[in-house]
Amino acid sequence: MVFRSMQTVTMAVLGIVGFTALPTVAQQPAAGTKVVQFMGLEGVKAKSSGRLTLEGGNLQFTGSNAKANVPLHSIEDVVTGNDSQRVFRGTIGTLTMFAPYGGGRFLSLFRSKVDTLSIQYRDAEGGLHGAIFTMATGKADALKKEMVAQGAHTSIPIQDDAGSSDTKPAAAKEKKP
Amino acid sequence: MKRVLYAAGVALLLLGAHAELRAQSAPTPAMKASAIQVLMIQSDEIKLPADFQLSLYENLIQQLQKQGGFQHVYRDGDHNAAGITDLVVLHSTIRGFKKGSEMARNVTTVAGKTSIDVHCQFTDKDGKTILERDLNGKVQFFGGNLRATLDFAKKAAKLSHDNFAARPVS
Repeated sequence: MVFRSMQTVTMAVLGIVGFTALPTVAQQPAAGTKVVQFMGLEGVKAKSSGRLTLEGGNLQFTGSNAKANVPLHSIEDVVTGNDSQRVFRGTIGTLTMFAPYGGGRFLSLFRSKVDTLSIQYRDAEGGLHGAIFTMATGKADALKKEMVAQGAHTSIPIQDDAGSSDTKPAAAKEKKP
Repeated sequence: MKRVLYAAGVALLLLGAHAELRAQSAPTPAMKASAIQVLMIQSDEIKLPADFQLSLYENLIQQLQKQGGFQHVYRDGDHNAAGITDLVVLHSTIRGFKKGSEMARNVTTVAGKTSIDVHCQFTDKDGKTILERDLNGKVQFFGGNLRATLDFAKKAAKLSHDNFAARPVS
């Protein structure tokens, strides 16, 4: 009887532990920073989404159907910035422009802020390339710090770069909602 | 009858003047080149955000490759360009920049234009200037601010193709 109740308790405890442990395994975030490659990476389609990781001295972009590697030592400049984009974009965003009674205009007021990360690097032939990534706000500076620590170069020191978009001339500023 | 003759004379004069003007404004017969090298966009006088600078450069290379007419489109610093004899080098300098607002464009239609003015200088391998033009890229209605760089790149690629491309578009 005692053995049976102990077995029940053990099963219950295991069940609870298993129940709480499973979601943590499932919710473990994938490595890297989720980005959209706006343009510039060789062999990767423009505006394709994927993850940026730093592995073995390389900046690695892994998309759903493309992969690209850039050696960190070949990166001559890393600059971060910020911008905003429409919440309703792409084909749906374009279609909303034709909505009646100014519905499209109203929807274009909904915007989300994004960070941009621009890199300049040289290929094996010495040719200069540029690539632009957009990511969730607040992620670009951390990624830049990591890249610089691992051998990438930058023309703007990290502490100054965080507010780089604020140092732009008045004419260059985008009015944000 | 007199009036008709007078009108015909004026029309002939105008046509002649127009033909002369067209001959004057036509581009000087430039050299044909098998390859073009695009140098990084310079923006010393005007502070241009890094993403705009890179977007201008990358779009320019993409559009030149898309237009065809050149066997090779070399990037800034590419060692392979050193061996090409009939190489044209494109130097681009920012002369003006106004960053508009996509939201203002979408809401008002008339405000929020983004525009970039670029001075394009084509030189031969030795640095001698062959052609100089001021081009403009803008986005007035649809699209993000960076779309202005694509507009400029299309114009610059067409100018390069019309003046220097050795091969017709395939």
